[in-house]
Amino acid sequence: MENHKIGVYVCNCGTNINKVVDCESVASHALDQPGVVCAKSYKYMCSNPGQEMIIKDIKEQGLNRVVISACSPRMHETTFRGALSKAGINPYFLEMANIREQCSWVHTDLRAATDKAMDLTRGAVRRVVHHEALEKRFVDMCPVTLVLGGGITGMSAALELAESGNLVYLVEKTGALGGNLARVDLTAPYLDSARDLIRERILRVKANPNITVFLDSRLDTLDGYVGNFKTMIQTPTGEKVPVDVGSVVVATGYKPFDPTPVKAFGYGTNPDVITSFEFEKMLRSGNIVTSKGKPPRYVTIIHCVGSRSEEFHPYCSRVCCMTALKYGQEVKSALPEAFVYDLYIDMHAFGKGCEDFYKQASTIRTIFLMYQKNTSPQLLPAGPKDDCGMLLRVDDRLCGEEVDIPTDLVVLMVGMEAREDSAEVARLVNISRDRDGWFIESHPKLDPVATTTEGVYIAGCCQSPKDINESVAQARAASARIMAKIAKGRLEVDAVFAEVTQDDCSGCRVCNDLCPYSAIEFDPDARKSSVISAKCKACGACVTACPSAAIKGRHFTDEQIFAQIEGVL
Amino acid sequence: MAVQADPRLVAELETYGAQDVLKCYHCGNCTAVCPFSKEPFIFPRKSMRYLQMGLREKLKSNLEPWLCYYCGECSEQCPREAEPGETMMSMRRWLTAQYDFTGISNLLYRSWYMELLGIVILAAATGLGFYAYGTAHGSIHVYDGANAFLPSSFIHAFDWTMGSILGTFLLINCLRMWWITMGRDPRVKVTPAMYARRAWLLLLHFFTQKRYSECDRKGPWRHHIVLMLSYVTMLVLIMGFLPLVQAGPKVNWWVHALGYAATAGLLVTVAMALLGRVRKTRTHYKHSHETDWIFLIMLFYVALTGILQHVCHRLGSPYAANVLYLAHLMGVVPMLVLEVPFSKWAHMCYRPLAMYFSHLQIDALEAQGRDVAETLPA
Repeated sequence: MENHKIGVYVCNCGTNINKVVDCESVASHALDQPGVVCAKSYKYMCSNPGQEMIIKDIKEQGLNRVVISACSPRMHETTFRGALSKAGINPYFLEMANIREQCSWVHTDLRAATDKAMDLTRGAVRRVVHHEALEKRFVDMCPVTLVLGGGITGMSAALELAESGNLVYLVEKTGALGGNLARVDLTAPYLDSARDLIRERILRVKANPNITVFLDSRLDTLDGYVGNFKTMIQTPTGEKVPVDVGSVVVATGYKPFDPTPVKAFGYGTNPDVITSFEFEKMLRSGNIVTSKGKPPRYVTIIHCVGSRSEEFHPYCSRVCCMTALKYGQEVKSALPEAFVYDLYIDMHAFGKGCEDFYKQASTIRTIFLMYQKNTSPQLLPAGPKDDCGMLLRVDDRLCGEEVDIPTDLVVLMVGMEAREDSAEVARLVNISRDRDGWFIESHPKLDPVATTTEGVYIAGCCQSPKDINESVAQARAASARIMAKIAKGRLEVDAVFAEVTQDDCSGCRVCNDLCPYSAIEFDPDARKSSVISAKCKACGACVTACPSAAIKGRHFTDEQIFAQIEGVL
Repeated sequence: MAVQADPRLVAELETYGAQDVLKCYHCGNCTAVCPFSKEPFIFPRKSMRYLQMGLREKLKSNLEPWLCYYCGECSEQCPREAEPGETMMSMRRWLTAQYDFTGISNLLYRSWYMELLGIVILAAATGLGFYAYGTAHGSIHVYDGANAFLPSSFIHAFDWTMGSILGTFLLINCLRMWWITMGRDPRVKVTPAMYARRAWLLLLHFFTQKRYSECDRKGPWRHHIVLMLSYVTMLVLIMGFLPLVQAGPKVNWWVHALGYAATAGLLVTVAMALLGRVRKTRTHYKHSHETDWIFLIMLFYVALTGILQHVCHRLGSPYAANVLYLAHLMGVVPMLVLEVPFSKWAHMCYRPLAMYFSHLQIDALEAQGRDVAETLPA
């Protein structure tokens, strides 16, 4: 048996750990454990001097195993593995005992907390003896990308990739590029033409030889793993085109909310109650008219239809407020004599230039009303003396009065909702959806365009409602992530993953469906399962489930886990 | 009960001097900084809202504009530059027009050339009338005694006649103010005993403008009280003691000392106000409605011609004195006829009345066992 020389390092984390746990005692306790040749307590182990101390000890005292009793490994495992590599030993000869999140932060009893920290450290000392030297592995990176969705987001991602010399397959479900933005007249808050934005993108996409556009097509299947996806694209002729790609950008967008179920407005029965998209059509044609064909004297815009409601969607659709302000300006410029009423719950003017846009809307005399969340303004017929088509009864929160406002045309600001096929898309590319049907990102702040499936990225409104700038930013962020991988040429795969001992596998396939990452493939000829290491996230589900104990989790072997348990006890 | 909105009300108030009303987004900073905004009179935000929404009747029965003295803090704090202070000012003008049963007020406020035309016609009529009388009954070269051009007894009688007529108009408008803000609303139950108990407030607020003195800034109140007391002194001297004021050659020093002081007070305060409006030194001087200018210029003109005719008389130039006296009357008559019942001057009644009524409304709420924090019925 190898001669183990273990170094134990107890971090004080400033006072984060030290104020509850007696770190000196933990260190001296560790020194009594078999194989431990050095144990130290230090203020900040993750700091440069802390790491240098470890490196120095490894070199001078010939340490071959290191235990760090500090924060969660999620926080600094990579940091300390780096230190081990620098010192010239395999980075996997490290074990961390979490005495911060699992000890000092959650306990108040100093004595008991210190005892627990000793137990956790002892477990780590026992475990680290069984650590094996693991080597990183590499897989190939196919430089081709599949983009799903031909809206502003999908086209922006495709252009970014194609213009840096990479091949892109752009799959669009409908017969034309442009997406929802192609139905919009002007954009807020600078009143640029949406048509211009879209036309520029479409022309560039069509002109770029690196982009192959599939219209009226959809993704049929996607297999493989990051850098090595094998996909089938179904074309309008029914033909299935096989395409190999290294990455996928999902930019499938959103669907406007259908306000028919919102009874109070009589959408669908009252021809003068229209959705924002129907109003966009009027604006694009330059002809704002009521059902009687006359220009309206009073236009009423109602925010949050289908959004921020208990009955329909609880979330804010984010773009409607500024779009509503834009309508005010467009109506005033087309019909200067018209009055514009704008009914909001809260005015969300959060983006760059939006607060000024809001002020501008007031300056051109949009009249704002504030109605209560989860209530609905009521549409009433106009009286014989009124010079308007209808009255809208609003409980205006700004004056505390129930007010009847005259109106000829009501525009419902319909929110965004996940597309009907979002479940299908999520299943095909193996990503998750939240309760509202939006695709879930890997980390909401630090990894906003990646997903839990490596190599599959999400951008734009399929992730959640957002405006054009944010969608384009996400598209380009996803492209940048992909280009970074392409630039490396090959992908590093974590050394920690599950392995099937082929001789022991009975081919029962229990693990196949269990794997949340679809990382296990079955060879029907050999009747054996095997793990695609590039897809495996080392969750361990298959390891515990295998009835033949044929699957081994690297870095989480039975031996290691039992030793740790014994150490703790 | 739902009330119908009238989007045209804002434009209507704009002819009375309102500006940028629709820029207000109801953050409430104006109301938070106003030292007078107390329940149940929360202003200026709520008045701004009634106006934005076009709730005409609510705005009409609203006393709040009269409770504001336009110190300007609200406008200075407004993040949207919605000028709440100036809006309150325009509402006072609009309310003056609403209280006026003749419709003349509306005409004068909404078009400055109508006001100017009124002044010119009245001035011409006054000048011709007095000139005809003077030349028929005396000589333009005689200031007082027998054969005087404009004998004080005649002017005195004329003053009282005109005062009675104008007073009647003003009284009717005050009664209308009572009806619009108090009487017509059956929910405000004010007993005669309450009216009697609070009546002293009318005199207090008329003479001291106590509330104005409670603004954070004292300067405007000092300015205003000097102007107002000078004016009232002059009014009392003229209406009560015109023969003494105008008489000569014997000088009645106590009458004249008061007269000189009041004239000086008027000339200085009005000149300061005019300069302030030209230079826009204070927030409440930043925006000037046409009627503000006309009022100040008229007042300055009247005070100046009044003292000049007196000086000429004392210096022994009866001809110059009479000409200036005529010129003085040509200013006084249009100023009083137009301003007292129909325009700016009416506020000397409306402000104390509003103070009085607002206390009565609170009394009534409390008597009915209702929380004053509750929104006032309007």
